[in-house]
Amino acid sequence: MKLLTKYNRVNLITTIIVMLITGFIYYQAISWILTNQKDKDLKVEEQEVFDYVNLDHHLPQTFESNDQQITFTEAKPGSVVREFINTMYFKKWDKDDARKRHRHKHPGNGKYEPGRGLVSSVSVGDKYYKILIVESIVETEDLIRLIFTITIAVILFLLLVLYITNRLILSRLWQPFYTLMKELRVFSVADARGISKLETTIDEFKELNNTVIEMTAKARHDYKELKTFTENASHELLTPIAVINSKLDTLIQTENFSERQSKLLNDLYSAVSRLNRLNQSLLLLVKIENRLLHEQQQINLRELIEDMIIQFEEIFQDKDLKVTYALDEKEIYASRYLAEILISNLISNAIRHNHNGGEVVINMTEEQLVIQNTGLDSTLPDEIFTRFHKSSGSEGSGLGLTISRQICQNFGFSLDYRFQSPFHTFMVKFNLK
Amino acid sequence: MKILIIEDEEGLRESIEEYFTEAGNICETATTYQNALVKINLYRYDCILLDITLPGGNGIDILKNLKDNNYPDGVLIISAKNSLDDRLDGLNLGADDYLVKPFHLSELKARVSAIIRRKTFNGSNLLIFNEITIDLLAKEVRVDKTLVKLTRKEYALLLYFIANKGKVVSKNAIAEHLWGDGIDMANNFDFIYSHIKNIRKKLVESGCNDYIQAAYGMGYKFTGQ
Repeated sequence: MKLLTKYNRVNLITTIIVMLITGFIYYQAISWILTNQKDKDLKVEEQEVFDYVNLDHHLPQTFESNDQQITFTEAKPGSVVREFINTMYFKKWDKDDARKRHRHKHPGNGKYEPGRGLVSSVSVGDKYYKILIVESIVETEDLIRLIFTITIAVILFLLLVLYITNRLILSRLWQPFYTLMKELRVFSVADARGISKLETTIDEFKELNNTVIEMTAKARHDYKELKTFTENASHELLTPIAVINSKLDTLIQTENFSERQSKLLNDLYSAVSRLNRLNQSLLLLVKIENRLLHEQQQINLRELIEDMIIQFEEIFQDKDLKVTYALDEKEIYASRYLAEILISNLISNAIRHNHNGGEVVINMTEEQLVIQNTGLDSTLPDEIFTRFHKSSGSEGSGLGLTISRQICQNFGFSLDYRFQSPFHTFMVKFNLK
Repeated sequence: MKILIIEDEEGLRESIEEYFTEAGNICETATTYQNALVKINLYRYDCILLDITLPGGNGIDILKNLKDNNYPDGVLIISAKNSLDDRLDGLNLGADDYLVKPFHLSELKARVSAIIRRKTFNGSNLLIFNEITIDLLAKEVRVDKTLVKLTRKEYALLLYFIANKGKVVSKNAIAEHLWGDGIDMANNFDFIYSHIKNIRKKLVESGCNDYIQAAYGMGYKFTGQ
């Protein structure tokens, strides 16, 4: 859920609740005021009755107006408690109400409306009467309804306004945030480009921006340090490896080795050569990442691959691999050194992870280069492209595919893997759009 | 032939010296920039093995000094820096070859032999070893007068052996020389064996002596004077 949506939701809910509560209080207050007003009217009426009784010593004529009824009933002395009540007001139909009455199918000759009444008492001579004054409060209720409707309309209008302002203003307000997010998404520690400064007047975003700039700068610095370290370490290793290598070459010139000794020497040789390859791969990786290999030239990829296949001929034969290839013409403009490493790595992999008597299929079109090989009958995990991921028993450095993918990235190609029994397929797509 | 080894790393320098020292070869060494500078201005060598990173200075400056004085010495740069810029710098300045550390001594020997061949035979393209005659331009091998048909790799292997005659050359070194770094995927070096078998057969069938001997399962040795 977007912050904006969440914020809007909370905002709307609280607005509605507050509006409803205010509406309710408003309603209560107004109905209290209006009831009070009615009660005052009723008291005035009561007083009139009292005045009349005091003056004339008999009950006034009961008359009926449109909104007021007074009834007198005889009651036991002292039985009536003076009180205001909510009651019904019986309204007789006017003449022109007849059609209405017919339509509403109301029985009788009138209808009940909500009313407010005052129960009181008066003594006329020795008789005790209960007075009931009832006034219709239809007008009051109408007024309240009107007020309520206006309140609801205001609420709705407010919601609409809130909604629109949120949409227009808030999304614009959040723009710096989204810009920053977009920059962070494409940020790479290996990239020379940092996070740019945002144009914003909002403190929070300014602070966020500054923090992100600082953080990414630090990450890039750390990454660079690490890379320098790797490079230096690999570099320093070269000389001792060179010494070991040369000493081994010298050692085998001395005569008379037993079978056991020559076995040991052979193992030493292959270990040193692995160490050397590993070290070279690390150095190469740093170099590619630093984009230190700039010399670019026009390369005929078909010729390069064909040369490479010839180069690998004996090794294909040694593993009894069947090689088929169909190559269209393809020229790229890139570093020849890296292109050679890329092709050599991919073909080496197709050989190394193959079984004896397996197959290698190489196809190239204008769009892509596909290298397929038989091997283990299961999909390889996604980690094959990460550093030092190795299948068990692999003699490789575990850097081959990492280097290949890095080279592809450098060239603006993509390198992907797919397994479709029985073939493991590596695809280099040339045109990334 | 006379060789100067300019290398500050003692272990490496000693190994190279030992490997190159044989009948007819004189090896001299220099361990610092100043020392090397003195030697190159005093004596002439057939080939100078030049390390780039030296105490007291840069090997490239020694190369410049050589070229400024028009000394004809062959120069092979041995460097730990496998960067193309350095390589190009070196070659543009007139170095004959560039070898990246670490390397097999047999590889170094083959490269040095090639440089010296180019320098000394000056125009002649024939490399003659006993009954074997190799035309380096046409890449043709003859035993006495018989043409021996060798594949590209067999030819390279024969040259490699002759450059390292009398030395045990490890299978690793052979594999790296012929196949480059792609070699690590092979489970074993059986395919080298079949290569050697082929080349021996072809040579012997043409009436050549069998010079190639297996050495303790570690490598091969090209014998003969």
